[in-house]
Amino acid sequence: MMAATASTYIAGVRLRSIAGIWYRHALVLRRNLLTSLSWYFVEPFVILVAIGIGVGTLVDDVQGVPYARFITPGVIVGSAMFHAVFECAWGGFMRIQKGVYETTLTAPVSTREVAMGDICWTMTRTVVTAVCIGTVAAAFGWIDNVSGVGVLLPAALVGMQFGALGLIFAALSPNVHILSLTFTVVASPLYFLSGAFFPISSMPDWVEPLAWAAPLTPSVHLARGFVTGDLAMSHLLSGLYVVAWIIVLFPIAATLMHRRLVK
Amino acid sequence: MNDKSDGIVIRASNLTKRFGGVVAVDGISFEVSRGETYGLLGPNGAGKTTTMRMISGLSPLTAGKLTVAGIDVTSQAREVRNVLGVVTQEDGLDTDLDAKSNLIVYGYTAGLSRAEAEKRADAVLMFFDLTDKAREEIDYLSGGMKRRLAIARAFMTSPRVIVLDEPTTGLDPQGRNRVWQELETMKQGGVTILMSTHYMDEAAALCDRLAIMHHGRILAEGTPDELVNRHAGSEVAQVRVSNGARQDVVDWIGNAGFDYRDAGAVITVTSRNGARPDLSGLAGVRVSYRPSNLEDVFLTMAGRGLTDDE
Repeated sequence: MMAATASTYIAGVRLRSIAGIWYRHALVLRRNLLTSLSWYFVEPFVILVAIGIGVGTLVDDVQGVPYARFITPGVIVGSAMFHAVFECAWGGFMRIQKGVYETTLTAPVSTREVAMGDICWTMTRTVVTAVCIGTVAAAFGWIDNVSGVGVLLPAALVGMQFGALGLIFAALSPNVHILSLTFTVVASPLYFLSGAFFPISSMPDWVEPLAWAAPLTPSVHLARGFVTGDLAMSHLLSGLYVVAWIIVLFPIAATLMHRRLVK
Repeated sequence: MNDKSDGIVIRASNLTKRFGGVVAVDGISFEVSRGETYGLLGPNGAGKTTTMRMISGLSPLTAGKLTVAGIDVTSQAREVRNVLGVVTQEDGLDTDLDAKSNLIVYGYTAGLSRAEAEKRADAVLMFFDLTDKAREEIDYLSGGMKRRLAIARAFMTSPRVIVLDEPTTGLDPQGRNRVWQELETMKQGGVTILMSTHYMDEAAALCDRLAIMHHGRILAEGTPDELVNRHAGSEVAQVRVSNGARQDVVDWIGNAGFDYRDAGAVITVTSRNGARPDLSGLAGVRVSYRPSNLEDVFLTMAGRGLTDDE
């Protein structure tokens, strides 16, 4: 991506625009590496160990596996979601407010490419966090399957899906108070609805279909498939369901960003 | 058709922008020649920023035609931003990056290679005397430094045309002088500059030609000297008046048909056809004369001061 020359276009998309935005984000990460590590590493590590081992002593095996092992895929995918929402909703809103996007647009960049650049970076970020937590989980023996590497796929998909959703919230929010609903009303409930911490089959009957339709759930299901190595048709369908979300959300995100930035 | 051969770099005809029912820019036309510094002078709300944003491709035209270096802004907004350097009214600096990284990221995004961007950033920082601030946090820079860094950023791609929205608004006098000096150096380097300002001294100091804008329209256009001579004469009367006599004096000036501005302590009265207002018959009045300036032009054109809002 970094090699994109100044004049390479694919289907009207200027690759250098996306590479430039990606490069910006990578520099910001490099600059704040230590504090970022807490996000990528410490927080999910704490959740995994505290809930996995702590709560794990109180509950029996879930679906035939120890509790820590059961929640590992969900914690990886849920963490990816929070990264994506933080980068695109919170970060995106700040970049709107501070005129960072406007500056980017004074270069030969389109609003659609701004959205693509942010989402590309977000995908990178969610994959990195999945690698970090996955490594810890593997060290504890909670991922002991080669197919466990596959969790990077739902992590990447969640990066694009919630990156686009985050940009939508950033573009629509008039202020940070409304924006904070993205975390409290959207991300946190979805995390607990996703089947990350308890099987969806244990939810009340009327909640089950809602839980399956919720945008994070299929990625948790897919990740669990990779971790257990027990993949079926339902996992393929879950992946396609997330792809459908991305296909629907991205044009909305690009359009709303355009409306917010170009008046 | 060929804007390059006749030396016109920016050509706006009947440029119009409406936001809902509000007309921000009302069918203005002007041309900027290569190497010229052209100013849009007017109070807040005159339509200057909207005009600049249309030229930068950041705001679609409602009507009219606009070309930059022969490139149509409506159909080829991206290409226009390839030849333009744009400094928006807000500095738009990225506070998550240090000063130099702001330049490098912009340069790379705009099309330079990473190595070129790095080299160019060093050169630009040196030109703007910011080399020792290269690794500084943006939040620790003074207002003047931030402004110069924002202008430096627009120069990363060595544009021949630069669009500057209010280059010195909010800066202290030293900061202003620095920016003026650097713009003067660029000008001598042959860069075409389109700038907006609500400071008449700035317009007089930097602009070869300017358009006075008010309520989305161009009221007058010319060199600063032409505008002053044509519309405000060579001098204005500064009338100091006691509070008791104020109404009488204002009435007298109005009845005599002179243009004036009542700024509280001083009432400024422009000459009419070279004739000074003869206030000798009025009590409690002290009159002095000073050379006219662009503010006085605006006063005669719009009947009010440049710093007024709305």
